[in-house]
Amino acid sequence: MKSLLCLTVNGRQREDAVAENMLLIDYLREQLGLTGTKQGCDGGECGACTVLVDDKPRLACCTLAHGVAGCRIETIEGCASTDGLSRLQRAFHEHLGTQCGFCTPGMIMAAEGLLRANPHPDQAEIRAALGGNLCRCTGYVKIIESVEAAASMPEAA
Amino acid sequence: MNALPDFRLFRPASAGEAVRLNTAHASSRFIAGGTDLLPNIRRGLFNPAVLIDLGGIPEMATITESADGLRIGAGVTLAKLAVDPRVVARLPALAQAALAVAGPTHRQSATLGGNLCLDTRCRYYNQSEFWRDSIHHCLKLDGDTCRVAVKSKRCYAAFSGDVAPALIVLGAEVEVLGEKGARRLAIADLYADDGMAWLTLKPDELLVAVHVPFDDAWTSAYEKMRIRGSIDFPLAGVSVALRRDGANIGGLRIACTGVASRPFAVDGLDVIAGKLFDAAAQTIVAECVDLANRSMKTTLVDALFRRNVTPVLARRLAQRLWNGA
Amino acid sequence: MNAPDRELQRMRVPDEHRGVGARLPFVDGVEKVTGTARYTADLPAANALVGMILRSPYAHAELLEVDVTEALSLPGVRAVVTGDECDMPYGVIPIAQNEFPLARGKVRYIGDPIAAVAAVDEATAKLAISRIRLKVRELPAYFKAADARQPGAVALHDKKPDNIEREVHNEFGDTAAGFAAADLVREETYESAEVHHAMMEPNAALAAWDAERGHLTLWSVTQVPYYVHLTLARCLKMEAAHIRVVKPFSGGGFGHRTECLNFEVICALLARAARGTVRLLQTREESFLAHRGRPESHMRLKIGMKCDGRLTACQLEMIQRGGAYGGYGLVTILYAGALLNGLYDIPAIKYDGYRVYTNTPACGAMRGHGTVNTRFAFESLLDTMAAELGLDPFAVRRRNLLTAPTDTINGLKIMSYGLPECLDWVEQASGWKQRKGKMRKVGDVGKGLGMSCSHFVSGSAKPVHWSGEPHAVIILKLDFDASVTILTGAADIGQGSSTIITQIVAEVLGIDFHRIRIVANDSAITPKDNGSYSSRVSYMVGNAAAEAAENLKRLLVGAAARKLGVPETEVDWFGEAAAVLGDPDKQVSFAQIAEEALVGTGTLAVKGTFTCPPEFQGGKQRGGAVGSTMGFSYTAQAVEVSVDLELGKVTVDKVWTAIDCGFALNPMSVEGQVQGAVWMGLGQAMSEETVYENGRHLCPNMLDYRVPTIVESPDIEVHIVESIDPNGPFGAKEASEGSLSGFMSALAAAVEEATGQRLRMLPITPVRVFAALQEAAAAAAMANAEENRP
Repeated sequence: MKSLLCLTVNGRQREDAVAENMLLIDYLREQLGLTGTKQGCDGGECGACTVLVDDKPRLACCTLAHGVAGCRIETIEGCASTDGLSRLQRAFHEHLGTQCGFCTPGMIMAAEGLLRANPHPDQAEIRAALGGNLCRCTGYVKIIESVEAAASMPEAA
Repeated sequence: MNALPDFRLFRPASAGEAVRLNTAHASSRFIAGGTDLLPNIRRGLFNPAVLIDLGGIPEMATITESADGLRIGAGVTLAKLAVDPRVVARLPALAQAALAVAGPTHRQSATLGGNLCLDTRCRYYNQSEFWRDSIHHCLKLDGDTCRVAVKSKRCYAAFSGDVAPALIVLGAEVEVLGEKGARRLAIADLYADDGMAWLTLKPDELLVAVHVPFDDAWTSAYEKMRIRGSIDFPLAGVSVALRRDGANIGGLRIACTGVASRPFAVDGLDVIAGKLFDAAAQTIVAECVDLANRSMKTTLVDALFRRNVTPVLARRLAQRLWNGA
Repeated sequence: MNAPDRELQRMRVPDEHRGVGARLPFVDGVEKVTGTARYTADLPAANALVGMILRSPYAHAELLEVDVTEALSLPGVRAVVTGDECDMPYGVIPIAQNEFPLARGKVRYIGDPIAAVAAVDEATAKLAISRIRLKVRELPAYFKAADARQPGAVALHDKKPDNIEREVHNEFGDTAAGFAAADLVREETYESAEVHHAMMEPNAALAAWDAERGHLTLWSVTQVPYYVHLTLARCLKMEAAHIRVVKPFSGGGFGHRTECLNFEVICALLARAARGTVRLLQTREESFLAHRGRPESHMRLKIGMKCDGRLTACQLEMIQRGGAYGGYGLVTILYAGALLNGLYDIPAIKYDGYRVYTNTPACGAMRGHGTVNTRFAFESLLDTMAAELGLDPFAVRRRNLLTAPTDTINGLKIMSYGLPECLDWVEQASGWKQRKGKMRKVGDVGKGLGMSCSHFVSGSAKPVHWSGEPHAVIILKLDFDASVTILTGAADIGQGSSTIITQIVAEVLGIDFHRIRIVANDSAITPKDNGSYSSRVSYMVGNAAAEAAENLKRLLVGAAARKLGVPETEVDWFGEAAAVLGDPDKQVSFAQIAEEALVGTGTLAVKGTFTCPPEFQGGKQRGGAVGSTMGFSYTAQAVEVSVDLELGKVTVDKVWTAIDCGFALNPMSVEGQVQGAVWMGLGQAMSEETVYENGRHLCPNMLDYRVPTIVESPDIEVHIVESIDPNGPFGAKEASEGSLSGFMSALAAAVEEATGQRLRMLPITPVRVFAALQEAAAAAAMANAEENRP
């Protein structure tokens, strides 16, 4: 059964008829076409679907779309601005924090949540904050370097 | 791939309304953070007709302080709980346990109540429908045989929440709300030693809050054994609270998780009260913890190993608290 | 015409180095960090039907009946296909094709596809699957290699009565004489659990059937679009010309996708049956069941050594549990022996390999294909024997180095060999001389250091298919807009092949990196490529790209000469411009040169190819072609650990890895590849393990199949050694696989220093370390009691 869902996605207010049993990940990917958010497991195991809900990283595959009614949702598609890539996007790109790229959107969103709460994390804090996001390509070394590099960049105006 | 059963979703604004909705609808379930329930629904472990989302109930999402302790709403997220300054300073075991749950993104959604009511887990149960079909199911769901102990009449699925043992050693009580009103019970009494019916809540009841007393004479800690540094459920989890009385042990409480169908307080520790925390006391700690252990073949990691490391965790935590106290 | 009134820049060289050797971000990195990269599951296909597969709940059974009547009659079901739909067995190795996309006659593992449906939505598809009725006769099933080989065991496949898929016996040199000449001979058993690729992207395919023309387009996650293309043509009995295979962005592979997998064929079969478009998304569990990972291996290894550490002979018996189908299996069992060669100078090697069919998902190629478990055993025993002889682990390895160029005893050519430099760096960086053997225990935490060496091929010199074609082809298109488009069939699966190819072309042409685009993996557009496996792409496709760029440059220099009115020999080529030699002000821009180059001929399409010369395709002896390659990468690494001696828990504190990759085409990418490889080795060494119970995969998810998280993953420091291979593109060799196989034994050595116990079975989990410590304690207590007996 569908009911009206009001929320903000990447800065745009939306009012959509959404099935009550729909997961946030399916709402984003199938209903809105925001396929940047990835599904890497059968539920809650890999972190590839991490998005920000009111600035906090959450798993879109373990969240009902209606469960975030009224919230501000941000996905990887909402990170870049007219000024270009976000700090984290730029750092992941330039420091090779991404290889196959499949974990990258979730990884960047989890890191974005970290930097908003803690603009200058140390390495242990970076590891702790990304502990729910699996990557199979990088061995995480360049992911940590990317987050460190992003944290040291001046904040976008 | 993700299609969930066609349930209705309600989002009550109060705990009372949540209880009423639950009674009004057969085959309903409460959902809080969803990090455990939704993957379980996807695997066909539950097939609810109605979900009652507790996320819109302000009274369940707050921590209130009184002179003698905290009332922590069941809807408080583990992320919030782990960094609450009062919890960190005065109830360290609780902060450590909350921080030990799953991964950081899970903890942003997952709640205290959800972790306390976490479904018991088993290698034969936490599988897809295809998988469970191929073993003709198990006692816990749709089957008549426990695959862990084939001759058993009971289910041995393991309770794997991290927070419960911390609350046990901290002497917490839970506040539940039912049709006929609220009641409080000791946290340990929330659980029964049965993988299928591990909660003593009545069908109409909702866990709304946890009351944790402050007692600064006690220090506490939590630690879990897991293979990876994050995400994993506890293979064995131990919480210890210790009170020092001069040069002697004033009191010692230990509780375990992950090694039985319920979290439990370890019995028999009274004998070391009033004594030094010496080798003899350490042996008693290890023996008491071992005696209570019921780890079974519910995880891929060897049950005997889980049993063997539990007393080590307990002894070390006690030692650490002793040294620090 | 290219912006004729634009003011042209006068220039000498591009301001930024964008050729080889530069630390460039990936050419497709922006798409990945912005979420605009479309992976197979992301492709828009509004009207696609939902595909779903019915899998066998039986480990081994005769299929007596598959009744799809009821499923077919459900409203919303558009197609149901079974084994009747395809009677052509497939498999990546032409002589070992014994798998059907949908089971025929028999199922051989739990998860073997039996039937599939295409329906209007997921719920209908699921319902239809539940309405398919099976009648079977269950057969005895075998889940261990030893059980499958027992006399009287029921054969999984015809003509394989002992369930031996492939037996390999060879001997190079005289091992008997070698062992006789040794001062120390030791024999030991090693084991490794089965591991899986666990690439982050679950399997997925999208198939569109053009009912009017009878044509098929398939989009898939594959590493080998060409093999998928061939398999589709075979299994659907179609003209290959009527098939188009596209690989969009791919979320990793690591070998899982180096052969056509059943879901790809099934998706195509469904689309044809439904006469429409079908999307077949696989769950994580299904991706685990498609498997193709590294097999459970039992190794019995014997080494002969002189007192000074010189190796005299080596003998290995390898038994691999191959799973239910052939796949790449015979290559795996061959590689496991052949790649005992090529790292050290070993005078004599005897190898006996057995690949066994069992009722478990088929194994296949996985990063470090064939070499990994062998290397674990070899390096481990080398350490143990060195210790017995009082030799340092570095010293014993240095005693057995090769000198390039040379041929190994099985006829493999070693043209470049940077292992000595790798050893030097690792020894120094890890503080080995000062610290090894002196690591201090702190409380209950033991500390240890371990080291090892490893190597890997830069592409198999012998192709899987003997078609007579070159090993690699690249096409460069230069058009009116003065852009250069690289057309390649090489599959970028995240390893960065598209970036490397672009860098090579930019280097040779000297032009602005942004003038170049790369189009990869669409069989309708790009030239055929064998695919991304055996670390062949940088070497082979890289060489083809360099040749293509040279060919294009020749045409461009000619055009510049015409434009400048001088002979070609007097053209000074700057890349973005060309000038008269000695007169830099007399110059023409690249756009003008391109315009001239197109006069009379139009769009230029220039090709470059690469073929491994026959002398590199292996020795003439039996088994000599296996493992042949034009260049081996070399790695040395050291691992530092802390071990909780009460809980058995190992923490890796730091890894130092030096790699001889010939030449680093992109040093940042080399570091990323090496870190990824070492870390994947760490996963196999410490926590990853595929466990079956009665053939049932017990951990088909990312919770119980424990891919390491960022929290416990160590820093991995990478040092690049450039030995400049004479045949690699700019001297480059592979960098993505060789570092993996060294990790396990280095870890085992470090754990031995920390605990006194040498673990010979992977993974080295807390459970195993704990057990080893308990056994040792019990043994010590026993010995103590004996001693104290009056």
